[in-house]
Amino acid sequence: MTKLDHRVKGVDHAAFPTFDPAGTVRFYRDVLGFPVVHSICAVGWGPEDHPDFIHFFFDIGNDDRIAFFYYFGTEPFNTGRGDAYSAFGPDVPTYFIRSRHLAIHVDGYEDLMEYRRRLDDSAWPVEMQIQHETIESIYTHDPNGYMIEITRALRPVTPQEDLDANLTIDALLDVVAEPEPSLAKLLARKAELIVDRAPAWELARAGQEAGR
Amino acid sequence: MTTMYVLDVPENTHLAKVAAEDPAVTVGRIGPYFEITSDAAIVIDRRATGCRHAVWYSAIGGIARDSRITQHDKDALRVEPA
Repeated sequence: MTKLDHRVKGVDHAAFPTFDPAGTVRFYRDVLGFPVVHSICAVGWGPEDHPDFIHFFFDIGNDDRIAFFYYFGTEPFNTGRGDAYSAFGPDVPTYFIRSRHLAIHVDGYEDLMEYRRRLDDSAWPVEMQIQHETIESIYTHDPNGYMIEITRALRPVTPQEDLDANLTIDALLDVVAEPEPSLAKLLARKAELIVDRAPAWELARAGQEAGR
Repeated sequence: MTTMYVLDVPENTHLAKVAAEDPAVTVGRIGPYFEITSDAAIVIDRRATGCRHAVWYSAIGGIARDSRITQHDKDALRVEPA
């Protein structure tokens, strides 16, 4: 496999529709303090019956942005469990609905707690604060029902975690190519990949360290 | 033979240490992984490791084909010959 050079520079913007622009501005600008950095006022045009709209952006740090579309004269298309973009029937489990979210990074515990204070003083208090494997996160839903996570690293990522992630993904590709993939099958395949590749990885890394 | 692999990262070091307290268990290394082996079952008590749940339920790097997990809950991890 040829090594492709990696040229991208993070998130330019992630865009979501809103039917509640007032709540959205309150949440992102007035509660969280994310500056408004760009907006487009556009007359509807094009082949479809496109409404006039406002496309507006908030700075989420690192020059990355979260953006919204507000379409004049439209009512929510979806009602029920879910968010402004999508809704789900009673047959869809909550863990699945909650799987899609945006996580915004902060540098440490103090910053995480600062955002926790801002949210807890608002109409959108923190719903959960969780220490995961290597990160700690707070969660809430914005006025559109989108799940927003703010997270900090509990420690720096170690080089061996990159190896482990790659072995996991290679094992995953192998097991999903076969019938009835399962975690047990993945862990069995990954054990083989560890035996095959982990010693060489460590030697190569030791060589790189020595060469510095 | 029972063999499991656990990545050597700070969250997992206690798990390997607790596993090694069983004289029947050997904790070696293969690359950046702990290779935990035994002729019989490997049993690790979660509370002894001090692992919080998120760490505990994602700690396993690999399970050799001749071995299988027979328990992995809030109390213990048990891996036995398949």
